[in-house]
Amino acid sequence: MAALMDTRILLRKIKDLRSLTPRRNRVKTKWAGSLPKYPATNLALQNFDATYKLQLGEQWPSVRVSLLCEQKYGALSNNFSDNEGVIAHLQSQGCRDIVSCALDVGTRGMAASSHDKPTSIESITVSPDMPTVSLSPNIKCLVFPRRDVSRFKPSRPDAHGLLGYYLMDAASILPVLALDVQEGQSVLDLCAAPGGKALVLLQTQAIRFLHLNDISWGETERDTFDRVLVDVPCTTDRHSVKEEENNIFSRVRTKEKQKLPQLQLELLLAGIKAVRPGGLVVYSTCSLSQLQNEYVTERAVHLAREELGISLQVADLRPLTQLFQDTFNFAPDPYLGQLVLPHLTANFGPIYMCKLQRLN
Amino acid sequence: MSFLPGWHVLRWTLRSATCTVLSRRQNIPQQPVMSTCRLYCSTDRRTNQPSLSPKQLQPGRDLSLQALLDMGFTDAQADQILEQANRSRGSKIENAASMLMTLFVLGLNTSSVVKVLQKCPEVMYVNGTHLQQRIDNLRRLGLLEGSLQRVVSHYPPILTLPLKRVNMVARFFREKCAFTVQQVTEILRDSPAVLQTDLGQLEYKFQYAYFRIGVRQPEMVKSKLFRVTLDEVRCRHSFLERRGLYQTPDKKGQTCIINPKLNDFLNVPEETFLNDIAKATQEEFEVFQKLMAKEWQEEDDEQERDTGADSDDDDDDEEEEEEEDLKSGYSKRK
Repeated sequence: MAALMDTRILLRKIKDLRSLTPRRNRVKTKWAGSLPKYPATNLALQNFDATYKLQLGEQWPSVRVSLLCEQKYGALSNNFSDNEGVIAHLQSQGCRDIVSCALDVGTRGMAASSHDKPTSIESITVSPDMPTVSLSPNIKCLVFPRRDVSRFKPSRPDAHGLLGYYLMDAASILPVLALDVQEGQSVLDLCAAPGGKALVLLQTQAIRFLHLNDISWGETERDTFDRVLVDVPCTTDRHSVKEEENNIFSRVRTKEKQKLPQLQLELLLAGIKAVRPGGLVVYSTCSLSQLQNEYVTERAVHLAREELGISLQVADLRPLTQLFQDTFNFAPDPYLGQLVLPHLTANFGPIYMCKLQRLN
Repeated sequence: MSFLPGWHVLRWTLRSATCTVLSRRQNIPQQPVMSTCRLYCSTDRRTNQPSLSPKQLQPGRDLSLQALLDMGFTDAQADQILEQANRSRGSKIENAASMLMTLFVLGLNTSSVVKVLQKCPEVMYVNGTHLQQRIDNLRRLGLLEGSLQRVVSHYPPILTLPLKRVNMVARFFREKCAFTVQQVTEILRDSPAVLQTDLGQLEYKFQYAYFRIGVRQPEMVKSKLFRVTLDEVRCRHSFLERRGLYQTPDKKGQTCIINPKLNDFLNVPEETFLNDIAKATQEEFEVFQKLMAKEWQEEDDEQERDTGADSDDDDDDEEEEEEEDLKSGYSKRK
């Protein structure tokens, strides 16, 4: 039996030997495909060079080098785990909580301008003419200070198997903070995967009902939610210039890429339909592209008014961004919404966000 | 060579003359003799060896304060040299006299000799004949009068390197990096420290410049590439590249943007580099350097792991033949 096996293996080996196959039966291996190979990351960079150079002007080189360098993370503290020791350890390494820092900035500003004690959900005014910003003090996100390039260690499960913190782009908490969730509200997260922002939402511990949705969804009920977060799929600029895998700029996904703005528009409109009158919608992407940010928002506001009869008001995010100016590098004068630009000293983002309030 | 016999005669006359002077009046410095020496040095350096203080010609002679003063050193300088000599191994002191003489023959004056010895005390131990051989070898490599003296006074360790090493590095530049003889001379003149650098590192730096930055040999020489550390080269180049201000030229040497010249971004102080070329802040570049150091460290670690895992895989046989020779070390590191 063993001998039989051996001869079979031997025969198979002999078949593989090219010299023994007659020339007419040999298959000639192809050396070059019909198209030259361009890595998707290069295509992404070329695309960005062409569009963002015009859009960002002088700032583009700084943003470009930041996109191509290692990004900075923030450690979102998990309030559901027993993590006081872990957080204290991180703080001893020099990390600071950006949310409480922002609150400090706010209270300092408030002490200078007026009075009023912060309540459980702290309301603060930055300057007299600015509207109130409230930040949930339950959200804790630790980052290393500016210019510090240290990294976080992957978090370890505690006694109950819960992780002490979750590592994510610290700028991703901004859309959630902009959403301004109050006690007992119902929230819809339209494009929830992979769940980073949903986790931040849960950390507020104020939500009565959280509806998470992604690509395999049905219709959501209309006019029901107090808050809707629409964090749409986009060209994910940072990912696109660094990773070949799952890259939207690869040739096979050209169609998908071209349809992105349309998809984003539809999603935002769906979000607008789902929010109750008086509720808030926050639209966010992780792209710098105006086509996917401002234009989509503008078009959605227009379409909602024309076709759905819903009028929306764009809320001012400047009070929020002022609080975080020490941590993030915001685009100097956006005409709609706010954009976090990556910078080597604070390599977070890019994150675009725009807050809309439904009026009727 | 026909002048040599006559030269010997002169040498002997000089020797006897100085001896008589010395024996009669000890405290008179040898200024006149030394100045004639200098005169000879400047006119004909190759053959003026014997014209120096003839006492020094006797092999095995002790290095005394008087002898040093005879050579034209000041008191302080002589003290310094003696102290240095005593600190070093006493047995080899007799070399010192011939060594000093060879340096004079080379055309260095007393103060630059002192400086050379200060910068590199090891020169003390070098035998005079060896020293002469090494200097002749440098001349053979194209370092002519003027640049030779400059190189020696700027980088005295060049005199402590054996012939073999110097020739090996020169050959390496010619054969592995395809520099011309003249370019090699220029490299040695501008950055003699390459002689003591690891050849693997030099090759990597050359290949980085050739393949990644995309510059050819003449420009490398012009921008004094080998004076700058590899990390600095990579940092500045990657910084520009990632900012979108530099592109590696394609096979035809074409780029979509106008690249700054290597000379303009490598051979300038950091401030000029940041302000004029990169248009970035100091802060950014600092953070960038930190990040780069980290990235390279990780690359190296990964590579070590890879080579540890499969040391016998050889997958790049479709390399272009003409550049294969140059590329070997670079692809190994990549």
